[in-house]
Amino acid sequence: MTPTEPAAPVATAPVAAVRPPLPVKMVIAGGFGVGKTTAVGSISEIEPLTTEAAITEVAAGVDDLSHTPSKTTTTVAMDFGCITIDPTLKLYLFGTPGQERFGFMWDDIVEGAVGGLVIVDTRRLDDCYAAVDYFEHRQIPFAVAVNAFDGKVEHTLEEVRWALDVAERVPLIVFDARERGSVRDALLVVLELALERTGG
Amino acid sequence: MPDGSPPPDGPEPVGPAPAVRPFLVTAGRVAPTASGRPVPVETQVVATAEGLAELDDLTFEQHDIVAACRQPQSVAELAARLRLHLNVVRVLAEDLRAAGLLVVHVPDTGIIHDATVLRRVIDALRAIPDSRGVLRDSD
Repeated sequence: MTPTEPAAPVATAPVAAVRPPLPVKMVIAGGFGVGKTTAVGSISEIEPLTTEAAITEVAAGVDDLSHTPSKTTTTVAMDFGCITIDPTLKLYLFGTPGQERFGFMWDDIVEGAVGGLVIVDTRRLDDCYAAVDYFEHRQIPFAVAVNAFDGKVEHTLEEVRWALDVAERVPLIVFDARERGSVRDALLVVLELALERTGG
Repeated sequence: MPDGSPPPDGPEPVGPAPAVRPFLVTAGRVAPTASGRPVPVETQVVATAEGLAELDDLTFEQHDIVAACRQPQSVAELAARLRLHLNVVRVLAEDLRAAGLLVVHVPDTGIIHDATVLRRVIDALRAIPDSRGVLRDSD
């Protein structure tokens, strides 16, 4: 699947042999306005870019996998940024809309992701259920990060954990999407979890 | 929004409709690969010498893609920078790859289970200073 061009004469191919970095992808999920783009922008080395992604929209109330849900394709904006780890490795952060109506179907974006960070606004917990469910079902390492708007969180972490019904093994943290160090630490929580899964 | 409710804030989910319908430039094709499985959004694409040599003979979108790929980048970056639909970029990149004008590096999904790779990412992230420019304690 990875075609390699036969070596062209060096004189005419000064840039053809550029070996791209290995991409490592993380997904930042959460409802609209929860701070995904802010978080990506706080740590990305480029201004967050936006592209349109097709997301398969699943009809509401589809817990019963035995019947086929009706699906339609919705186009949504996906914001993303990146961090160069070294010349051979690059971390990509993809922000994906995560409300209920997008169901389980971000496979197009999430396939191959090292992990996910679900950003939560405690005033609108409903917006992140779908993301939490998705990562749990797909067994993708993830953490839940409560975005402390203005440094305030309306509920304790215990209350949030109870309300979202996330397992104890899922890290639940408070962070500030505007602070680079805070976003960095949130991403590290997810990466450490992914590393644990490798047994390494 | 299809349900009529605007997002509370944040970017509009969909921008203004482009003047040219997205899949016109792909002649209506939507399946980017023979297997029908779209390449991941982070797939890296880079121009070949042939691609750069033939730049002047390429049509608008193909020209733009090959020119942008002087530097390797992901299909998502290409779509964003060229304001093309992600799947349009996927289809055109596959065409250009088949023609020998681009190299498409489909990522090896095994690397997310590679502890060495993860440690490199972790170490590099830890080295990123806070906004205040103060190095964090490496607890």
